[in-house]
Amino acid sequence: MFSTVISEPHGSLALVFLIGVIFGGIIQHTRVDKFEKIAGFAMLKDTIVPKMLFLTVGITSIGLYFMVEAGWAHYHIKPILLMGLIIGGTLFGASMAIFGKCPGTGPVSIAEGRIDVLVGAIGGLFGGLVFTLYYDDFFKPLMGESLGKLTLPNLFPGHEHIVVLLFGIVVTAIAIMIPKIEFFDEADLEQLPDSERPDKIQ
Amino acid sequence: MKRFCYTAIKFIKVIRMTNRLPWWMGGVLMAGLLLLTFSVFGADRPLGASTYVPYSAGLIFGLDPEKYSYLKEINFPGAWEGVLLLGALVGGFVTSVFITRSFRFSIIPTGWKKYKNDSVLSRLIWSFVSGFIMIIGARMAGGCTSGHFMSGMSQMAISSMIFGAVVMIALVVTGKLFYSKKERS
Repeated sequence: MFSTVISEPHGSLALVFLIGVIFGGIIQHTRVDKFEKIAGFAMLKDTIVPKMLFLTVGITSIGLYFMVEAGWAHYHIKPILLMGLIIGGTLFGASMAIFGKCPGTGPVSIAEGRIDVLVGAIGGLFGGLVFTLYYDDFFKPLMGESLGKLTLPNLFPGHEHIVVLLFGIVVTAIAIMIPKIEFFDEADLEQLPDSERPDKIQ
Repeated sequence: MKRFCYTAIKFIKVIRMTNRLPWWMGGVLMAGLLLLTFSVFGADRPLGASTYVPYSAGLIFGLDPEKYSYLKEINFPGAWEGVLLLGALVGGFVTSVFITRSFRFSIIPTGWKKYKNDSVLSRLIWSFVSGFIMIIGARMAGGCTSGHFMSGMSQMAISSMIFGAVVMIALVVTGKLFYSKKERS
């Protein structure tokens, strides 16, 4: 694993590790790894995760576009495998609601001492094993043919700048407009000042 | 200037008191990290977090990468994300011990107790099953919340927008059906 990363030009081993540390730190410090945040969003009792996700996308889309124009970055578009996206997305969304984690927030929860997530990660390893074993015979045909690597600006040739700018602004606006609802558990409430505790204000 | 300092101090106090960053700050920081990852000064690739699972499964179960086409396909992204994951484990651990002070061993999340049940066995079985399905789903779609939703939508990829819409619908529908509406007493 380490030798593969060292031999490739995509960032030094130390940098990739550091990106991971910051990634884990941001997720942990914003507490979006909590079950109450992700499963709470599935129950529509918490909106911190979508607010943060949409804001990230809004800012990054504009920033990344300028960086690509300046030659400081490249696009890496994933292909449209329609059946894969629909079946995979449905399975992913359903299991995310039940698990209350996703592959990025899971490890952060394990690092925080959550045993149930560790069990889920072992389940995930078996999922990865099954996917690898039956990829050629079952999953790849099921996912279908690629319909190309389209992006939104591709659909409006000649107006790329406007499309990117509009996309970034609209997504950021969505992030701000989603009403802020928070699902606190007892551990969170203990840390809040009395004036901000929803259970003490009423 | 004075007013700005006052606001800044008040802000830091709130963060220290609640031990968490507000959502907008998390979004801004995450955007910065994504841009660093994408840039040629960083890693010149998107940030993803689900390919490492089949990659680790290949290592743990001792599968021969020459025999399985999928392992060959993911050899590099899997290794890259594996290192990222090790970093995330360290980052999450250090932050949970020293900053959020949320490190503790627990099996059933509070939200699960409130809206599902008190059974350890039920939570562990559901975790295992949902973890299993989650990885198959993510690999079929070609990404997860990080790779598709964050990195993919930031590139305005149509595939990631389809994924995002399908996931949101499945997530909310499952949340409605799976958990009880009212808090259990």
